[in-house]
Amino acid sequence: MAEMKFAKSHEWVRPEAGGLATVGISKYAVEALTDLVFMQLPPVGRKVKAGESLGEIESVKAVSDIYAPVSGEIVEVNTVLPNQLETLGADPYGAGWIVRIKPDDPAELAVLLDQTAYDALVKS
Amino acid sequence: MTAGVLPVWWDDAADGPTNMAADELLAEEADRRGGPVIRLYSWTEPTVSLGGFQRLVEAESCAAISGLPIVRRPSGGGAIIHGTDLTYAAAVPKSHPWGGTPQTLYDAMHAAMVAVLGDFGFDARLHVPSADDPPADALLCFSRRSPGDVVVRGAGRPARPTDPKVMGSAQRRLGTTVLQHGSLLLATCLGVGGEARQAGLRELAGPPADWTARSLADRWTARVAEAVKIVREVQPATFTGGHLPEVAARASRFRDPRWTGRR
Repeated sequence: MAEMKFAKSHEWVRPEAGGLATVGISKYAVEALTDLVFMQLPPVGRKVKAGESLGEIESVKAVSDIYAPVSGEIVEVNTVLPNQLETLGADPYGAGWIVRIKPDDPAELAVLLDQTAYDALVKS
Repeated sequence: MTAGVLPVWWDDAADGPTNMAADELLAEEADRRGGPVIRLYSWTEPTVSLGGFQRLVEAESCAAISGLPIVRRPSGGGAIIHGTDLTYAAAVPKSHPWGGTPQTLYDAMHAAMVAVLGDFGFDARLHVPSADDPPADALLCFSRRSPGDVVVRGAGRPARPTDPKVMGSAQRRLGTTVLQHGSLLLATCLGVGGEARQAGLRELAGPPADWTARSLADRWTARVAEAVKIVREVQPATFTGGHLPEVAARASRFRDPRWTGRR
């Protein structure tokens, strides 16, 4: 399995077979948000730029944007997630995936954080 | 970089869209300055601000607030009836010690207010969740209880888990900054009915006290600044007045029925 990368805004991205990239939010981010109450996801087919908001998630205290870690077209959305928000906490790197993107430029992955660097970020 | 200073703006009363637009710009100001900023303000008429993803139809069908203008905040949380409250917006960069998790900034602002209310004779505390808490999805913010909300014991009554909430806050977590909206309920809003008529500080006070919205807020912002060892600087001009073209441009989004009715 390809190495997972992280954005400083706490999204993870994992290259998949066929050139797609799966995106979610980190366990740290889910735990920091506490009780999740609502999620708004983008439509399939939408084009996003790296760093652009692709959706929003609301917890009891906060609304947070979910940012695209790479540019590309959203080709698949985890549509069951808004009705099963507990999945984000239970399996953030598996069943809690949010979207699949067809990246415009796979080289954008190189500028993201690896697991070690991300772990250091959240501990700082 | 002016991160050693806490700028505080006292703004004139404005309508909902103008206030929301100014707060979005305030978040950018925090980013530019590299430190916390606070804007205190009021409203030109009693207004309901709806949380970022609350259902508009729920607010419109609530008889207690019928007829009041509604604006949707970018921040989360429950609906607030503005008019007899002190409203604030605070913003910090995510790199600031208060920017890390939602609860951190929430607690910082609320702990400072608990201390100030204590100075003025109120028995205030941060709420600790209990089995008596009302439903977390109640329409109105002051009908909800979250950990760290500011609650006050009524004069002459024993402390109870259900003591009234007088201050609540909610956030919008942006790319590099956090925008926090909050409201301190100064007095019951008489222009609403039923469940929306909640006791404020004026009704909860015991003997006549010498506080005003201004004196509470002055001490509060001073304590907020002290907590991170920076200097509070009350600004001579209003924040909105200094950003009129940008505020006017952004306010149009908050006037747009598509924004208000986004859910």
